[in-house]
Amino acid sequence: MDKITYIGEHTLLGQLGNGFVFLSFAAALLAAFAYFRSAQNDEMEGGPWKKLGRIAFYLHSLAVIGIMATLFTMIFKHAYEYYYVWEHSSNSMPKRYTLACFWEGQEGSFLLWTFWQVVLGLILMWSAKQWEAPVMSTLSLVQAFLASMLLGFYIFGIKLGSNPFILLRDAPDFANLPLFQFPDYLTKLDGRGLNPLLQNYWMTIHPPTLFLGFASTVVPFVYAIAGLWKKKYGDWQLDALPWSFFGIMILGTGILMGGAWAYESLSFGGFWAWDPVENASLIPWLTFVGTGHILIIYKARKQGALSTFLFPIITFVLVLYSTFLTRSGILGNTSVHAFTDLGLSGQLLVYLLFFILLSIVLLVVNYRKIPKAEQEEELWSREFWMFLGALVLVMSCMQIIVITSIPVSNKIFGLNQAPPVDRIGFYNRWQVPFAIIVTFLVAIGLFFKFKTTNIKDFIKQLTLPFIISAAITIIASFVLKLTNGFFIALLFTCWFAVVANFFYLIKNKKANFQKGGATFAHLGFGLIIMGALISTSTKQVISVNTSGKNVESLGKDISNATDILLEQGDTLRMGDYFVTYTGKRKEGHNVLFSVQFFSKDSATKKYTPQFTLNPLIQINPQMGNVAEPSTKHFLHKDIYTHIMFADLNTDNNASGGNEYGEAKPHSLGVGDTMFSSNSIIILTSLDTHIDKLQYHLKSDDVAVGAVLKVIDVNDKIHSAEPVYVISNDMVKPIDAALPDLGLKFSFQKINPETHKMDFTVSESKRNSKDFIVLEAVVFPYINVLWFGCLIMVLGTVLSIRQRIKKGREAKKLQS
Amino acid sequence: MKKIHIIAILIIAIAFGVIMTSLSNNSTYASFKEADEHPTRTFHVVGKLDKNKPFLYDAHLNANLFTFYLIDRDGTERKVMLEKPKPDDFEHSEQIVVIGTAKGNEEFDAKDVLMKCPSKYQDGKPTETKQTSSM
Repeated sequence: MDKITYIGEHTLLGQLGNGFVFLSFAAALLAAFAYFRSAQNDEMEGGPWKKLGRIAFYLHSLAVIGIMATLFTMIFKHAYEYYYVWEHSSNSMPKRYTLACFWEGQEGSFLLWTFWQVVLGLILMWSAKQWEAPVMSTLSLVQAFLASMLLGFYIFGIKLGSNPFILLRDAPDFANLPLFQFPDYLTKLDGRGLNPLLQNYWMTIHPPTLFLGFASTVVPFVYAIAGLWKKKYGDWQLDALPWSFFGIMILGTGILMGGAWAYESLSFGGFWAWDPVENASLIPWLTFVGTGHILIIYKARKQGALSTFLFPIITFVLVLYSTFLTRSGILGNTSVHAFTDLGLSGQLLVYLLFFILLSIVLLVVNYRKIPKAEQEEELWSREFWMFLGALVLVMSCMQIIVITSIPVSNKIFGLNQAPPVDRIGFYNRWQVPFAIIVTFLVAIGLFFKFKTTNIKDFIKQLTLPFIISAAITIIASFVLKLTNGFFIALLFTCWFAVVANFFYLIKNKKANFQKGGATFAHLGFGLIIMGALISTSTKQVISVNTSGKNVESLGKDISNATDILLEQGDTLRMGDYFVTYTGKRKEGHNVLFSVQFFSKDSATKKYTPQFTLNPLIQINPQMGNVAEPSTKHFLHKDIYTHIMFADLNTDNNASGGNEYGEAKPHSLGVGDTMFSSNSIIILTSLDTHIDKLQYHLKSDDVAVGAVLKVIDVNDKIHSAEPVYVISNDMVKPIDAALPDLGLKFSFQKINPETHKMDFTVSESKRNSKDFIVLEAVVFPYINVLWFGCLIMVLGTVLSIRQRIKKGREAKKLQS
Repeated sequence: MKKIHIIAILIIAIAFGVIMTSLSNNSTYASFKEADEHPTRTFHVVGKLDKNKPFLYDAHLNANLFTFYLIDRDGTERKVMLEKPKPDDFEHSEQIVVIGTAKGNEEFDAKDVLMKCPSKYQDGKPTETKQTSSM
């Protein structure tokens, strides 16, 4: 067969990209090796291995940037001859989503992660001084693993990495498509496009933030490994400390951005759904927070060196484990937004196990030599309670890991455990006790002093905040109608955290403003948990049935009837509002439903329009249609609306009424069943004893009734009897209607040979009158949560600045 | 560090207890027959939609009730009463997981449903587009 010469392909770009991919992998390996030799030889500045390591890492950095630039150019140029470009972008997609296309796929998001670690690596290379060689050696090794994810080689039949520069016509699924018979196929090709669900500005900012957070866990890890390797057990902690808090802040921000995204535009019904993918990002954050605090303890007391190794290692390993969970396809049905499986699970597992083994071996070898504390910590010391807090965080993290990993343990042990039924309620219940302890420690933590605390003074300082918080909690519990003891306890500890830290801030402001960072961060954390607690535990579904209209037909005992039917033009009461569905319209690939909220003046009985929400359904042939909520924000509450069911046909704005639609023919024998859109209809028998007077028939007319048993969705049984009549040799059927169900039956014909009867069923247009099924929820005080996030980020920034400053001063003193 | 050891062990013991209890409260994947045997327990049943039987939804009669027939992996068929509006694209689902309790060996009361659509992610092959690109 002749080879086809294709027109318009940018094959050079792909070759360039592949070159960069290979270079990035090889250079990372070389850097790891050169730095390894440099560290083993304890080279001074200017040593040959160190020089080589630097050159190799620069090459690696260049290659990574080269890959990104190439891929970006390809997406920008709509070079659909490349699979990745075809899969993630299209002509109709706005240019502002080019970045989002870049990291929609696994390969792009690996690149993003690699890129951030390049940035962190370069900063470390310039700033780590005597730690440069061992630290950069491990980091380069991590980079080599990440770079291998893009290789796309087959070695001994095992796929190594997934290459973003593969040509569409080389992709195994598409290789033999007739399209590729044409040399000019590119002129006819459009991309499949970015999933409309992800065409959102969050998709531009959330992944880079999150991946910078993940990437920054590598810094404390490589320091810990370097400490074990070079047997310098107590020198690295000060250097790793600011990095830890930087990572905690970024990863925390990334996680909360994900929450905000879910709340604003995904149909999770809240800001946190405990989805396995969300959990996978939260898990390492919890131990990362532990890491930061353990490093502070070490800095202050030079005690507990062992845990300063354990925490960064656990955190980094958990990042790898999370990556494995979300990218190996193992979560399967349990998550709505895990990545698609690219067949990399084996490689991801090797990546994970390699670093677990490396860490275990180094820890075991060094265990006896790591200095242990000579004296026991005082009970009333800050380090004791901080350590306790870190342990509680690990335990909370463990609970999330065990439950999220159910699909993994099923696979390993051959079990058939299912994920929790009411996932959100389940996790909330089990995590509340941990949250109570943590917020309580956050409240009292800063009032302890390192080494030992004057306990009388401690109690004196905390008495007033305690009383104030208790008073607020009692009042707030009444106002919010909280009855659950655990929730009240958590509300108290949250208030205690806020009030106590506020007092601390005021009292110590003059003497020591430097500690403001930690105080702010703790105060913000208290607010976040408080906002989460109040908005979830007192959220009020206002779309419950208040009309009394359908109650008698419910029949079943429906416990979670949280959605309400709104016909166009009808006004129903929801909470404090009266709500009308006014109509729908199409915009782009969205169908918007206008829902108008009114208030009613009880004296004048007049309705005043308050606001309009436009929840929408996105027509998404690629992944199934998706409902996107619409939320009205007030300072003290949010009103959230979400379409549960609707007719998407925008042409048919039927006015309703009692007209019947098209008659649909059915042919039945006795005992046979037919269906309408809302009922099951059974022909139970034929009735030959028709009371002719009742139907105004003549005595010589032939009349046969069909006894129909009609069972509606609620299992309520109705009966109807259409009659087949022959009068003067003419067929004159008498129809039977069931107005409740909007059904009309006509008995058209009897076929004696087949024993089948012909019927038509018409459905009332009432059944097609436009309506929506809506869920509406009030989330009270959710802004407390977002405000808390801001305060916490601000506090962490302040404390990082402080740590860097203090670190420099300490270094100066040493030298 | 004795005190810390004791407290650490205590915390770990409590946490272990918590985790194990939270696991044991959990539901398991099962067939309809197993679900029938324990009518008070909640199960996840995996199955396929019987497309020859009706799936009924009438928002006017009850916005929160959708009924359909599901055949589990053992081939047992049950009528499922889902206490939710009819999910979008339900007809196209390839695999369905219903979460709920059995009721009288005939019906299954589902609180929730998870669907796996064959179209998800994989749909679409490169084809000629009708309008040629503007570039």
